[in-house]
Amino acid sequence: MIAVERLTKRFRDLQHEQGFLALDKVSFTVQPGEILGLLGPNGAGKTTCLRILSTVLRPTSGTALVAGYDVATHPADVRARIGFMSNNTGIYDRMTAYEMVEYFGRLYGIPEDMLKDRIEHLFERLQMREIRDVLGSKMSTGMKQKVSIARTIVHDPPVLIFDEPTSGLDILVGRKVLDEVRSLRDQGKCIIYSTHIMSEVEKLCERIAIIYRGRILAMGSVKELQEQYERDDLEELFFELIDRHDREVASA
Amino acid sequence: MSPRNILLICRRELSDQLRDRRTLFMIAVLPLLLYPALGIGTLQLTVLFQEQPRTVVVLNADDLPAPPLIDGKHFAKTWFDRPEETEKLNIVTAATAGDHPEQAALLAQAENIADQIRGGDTADANDAQPRNRQRHSAIGKLFDDADFEVLVIVPAGFADKIAARGAGLSSRDTEATAEPARNRRPIVLHNSADERSLIAFSRVMKAVDRWERALLENQLQTAGLPADLPRPVNPLEIDLAEDEQLSANLWSKLFPAMLVIMALTGAFYPAIDLCAGEKERGTMETLLICPASRTDIVIGKFLTVMLFSLSTAILNLVSLGFTSWYMASLGSSGALSRLGDLSLPPVTSLFWVVLLLIPLSALFSALCLALATFAKSSKEGQYYLTPLLMATLGLTVFCLSPGVELEPFYSVMPVMGPALLLKGFLKETTLAAAPYWYVAPVLVTSIGYSLLALWWAIDQFRGEEVLFREAERFDIRLWLRHLLRDKEPTPSFAEAMFCFVVIMFLQFAAMRAFQNPLHEVAEADRGTLMMQLLIIQQLAIVATPPLIMSVMLTTSLRSTLRLNWPPLKGLAIGAALPFFLHPLTIELASALRWFFPQLPPSVQELMGQMADPSQSLWLALLAFAIAPGICEEVAFRGFLLSGFGHAGRWGLAVIVSAATFGLMHLIPQQVFNAALLGIVLGLLAVRTNSLLPGIVFHILYNGLEVLRFRNFTTLPRGGGWDWLWHIDGGEMSYQPLLLLVCAVGAALALGWLLSGDRRRDEAAEPLGDGLPHLAR
Repeated sequence: MIAVERLTKRFRDLQHEQGFLALDKVSFTVQPGEILGLLGPNGAGKTTCLRILSTVLRPTSGTALVAGYDVATHPADVRARIGFMSNNTGIYDRMTAYEMVEYFGRLYGIPEDMLKDRIEHLFERLQMREIRDVLGSKMSTGMKQKVSIARTIVHDPPVLIFDEPTSGLDILVGRKVLDEVRSLRDQGKCIIYSTHIMSEVEKLCERIAIIYRGRILAMGSVKELQEQYERDDLEELFFELIDRHDREVASA
Repeated sequence: MSPRNILLICRRELSDQLRDRRTLFMIAVLPLLLYPALGIGTLQLTVLFQEQPRTVVVLNADDLPAPPLIDGKHFAKTWFDRPEETEKLNIVTAATAGDHPEQAALLAQAENIADQIRGGDTADANDAQPRNRQRHSAIGKLFDDADFEVLVIVPAGFADKIAARGAGLSSRDTEATAEPARNRRPIVLHNSADERSLIAFSRVMKAVDRWERALLENQLQTAGLPADLPRPVNPLEIDLAEDEQLSANLWSKLFPAMLVIMALTGAFYPAIDLCAGEKERGTMETLLICPASRTDIVIGKFLTVMLFSLSTAILNLVSLGFTSWYMASLGSSGALSRLGDLSLPPVTSLFWVVLLLIPLSALFSALCLALATFAKSSKEGQYYLTPLLMATLGLTVFCLSPGVELEPFYSVMPVMGPALLLKGFLKETTLAAAPYWYVAPVLVTSIGYSLLALWWAIDQFRGEEVLFREAERFDIRLWLRHLLRDKEPTPSFAEAMFCFVVIMFLQFAAMRAFQNPLHEVAEADRGTLMMQLLIIQQLAIVATPPLIMSVMLTTSLRSTLRLNWPPLKGLAIGAALPFFLHPLTIELASALRWFFPQLPPSVQELMGQMADPSQSLWLALLAFAIAPGICEEVAFRGFLLSGFGHAGRWGLAVIVSAATFGLMHLIPQQVFNAALLGIVLGLLAVRTNSLLPGIVFHILYNGLEVLRFRNFTTLPRGGGWDWLWHIDGGEMSYQPLLLLVCAVGAALALGWLLSGDRRRDEAAEPLGDGLPHLAR
């Protein structure tokens, strides 16, 4: 469903002679019904990687196949088959929750009568009835996040990409979001979930990829990683990997 | 491109903007309120504004002859068009000052000045303008300190003198009438640098003129002579301007200006909100990940901005037109009455207003959108759009100037074409006289400019560097280090653009330096000096900046300036093409002569030098062919073309380098010609990856031009030669047969240039991964 092969991205940057290397030959795959956790600190390259998967950025080299289409050559086909949610994908201030979801539903080309049923169903499931006619500017963060989720899944995409969806949320709303992601997995969706919060990854993800400075340092299920690096605690494991990488870079 | 998506996006953006109070206020509420509010303000000011009466002191008023000039405290009402005008001047004389001590003070000040004037020798004293500079300024100072605006000094015995002259006239006593009046003239002192004094003075003179004429008429009557004797010609003045024309004249100035400015203002704020605003609010990425393509998104947004631009302009015009018409009908007795009826232009003219508004709005909307896309925030958007506003204001002011009318050349210029066409339509009261001829070129070029701007906006929107620009900290030291350290084989687009700006700027700066010696040198040597300066200009201004920049900013001088040996075929084509293209371009230029404004005299002089057979042929060839052939190629097909083609878009690079090459020539005719040749030269350079064929072409082409100018009169004529060219007096023209041969030859050569790949150069190869500006 998602197959990433030696994906590299460089940004032009005055401080680096070669440009800033945001992604360095990253490879991974995600299957339907699976959640891959992308775990890394801020600036590790998570957002860049997911932006490439959502086709808003072009890769410098390497390939990424999403739902069978190459992001570089068939971006429109990819966009029609993914749901993307991050804290950069805001909602319109001057639109109501219903209008917002309806607008994107239409952009995804869902027929009108089907769209109506779909929105009713989504608003029911996400308990959004009471904010149906509230303008974006009047919503709380939690309400906005619900609208974002509804917007992300309105066209029932097979692939879902979540980029730190719980950042800035209180525990209650954060838990709701996690529940929703889990239920989407149970529906057989192929999901990438990026975060810097260890507990979320432990609870949610079948497999995790630890990403740091544009590189994947380790990948596998939590159990596999614990066994491989002989650490019981994920947090310890994470710091160990990062330290080791920094030492390698310094000695090189 | 999906029309459904475009419509969806456009509809959403529209409703979004309509829900924004700020936009609504700027677009709809402001124009509807602004003009009526301005109107009310103007009316109130007119009511509140009362012109203060000014004080005029008349010394020795008793000696003024009849009819009476002064009636009590004012001039007599008869001496003014409107009787109430006399109230604007308070007259102070010895008679009025009797019971007013403050008036007595004024009289004392006046006497003091009069004494100063009378002081010195009598001959001088009677002169109104004191010759002595010192005395003049002393009097000026006294006058400034005095509390009156105008001082009239009547000489003693003036009435008697006038009466004597009258009597002399009656008795036809030439001796009495011939007495030089100069010695006994009244003096009127005023200070024209002081506005109050100036206005009072003009009023005084108006009254005095009329009074003087009445006095003369009285005298003539007494003498039994016709009263109109002093005005034997007395022409009758008839103003044919009708109310309609006066109003048409006003509208023809007001409407185009308002239209242009308001169309821009209407596009300005929505464009910022739709691009920079969305980035700021974090909804841009949401839109980018939906299936709508970037083109759909830009066109949807563009249509929204254009709708706002159109409606702002129309609302403003309606509000302005209605308010000023209403004001004019109110002020029928005031100063506005002179404008006559300010009735709105006829419906057909309004149709033209709307029609021309469409391409204008489209152009502004696309430009605003492209610039706003680049901005990260609304604040930044305003910075980027302000220069656009300035440039447009400049063009508008130019179009408003009374002498500027629609010409072929102006009709194809952006903004100016529609504005001047509209001016033409609104000025004519009969539609038959309207400039229909220009409608097609203005509309076609305006739509072309709009499409170009839209294409630019879409291109901007596709660049991820533009959309995801982080708020980078700009550090000039870091930037300079990067510039000099992280060099690439060829320059970047921005470096090429900078080089062009430097060349243009140096050209501008050198203008003065080159003009001064030309003015100083003797007529005979001017030609030689002009050509020497031309060579210096080419070397110093055109060739030096790209050479220095190539050395400093790139790693490979060879790749940048294409210092490669060309394929022999390319070289041969570079040598053959000028002979084919030269006659074609000459005929094209002469066929298009009507289109361009006349050549300025300095250029005509320069071309004269080219033709002047007394100048050395070698110097002429060096100045007009060899120097530009080498220097301009190094700059435009060397550094600039390499930079513009940095991203691998060679077609665009050839066009941009040709456009810059054209622009450097400044004069519209040459801009056109040079841009066309620039395309050929660009193709030649890209195809052969060598500068040499271009240099050969350039030298031969310009050399042919010099030889044609100097020697065409010596060409054989008559007989079979007439099939090739025709020489008639000072003009030479090529004949169809020759042109046909040239066209076939040129087509073959150009066909070779356009077919096949460009010759590659490993070192200069750009990154083909869509990341053009990245160092490898």
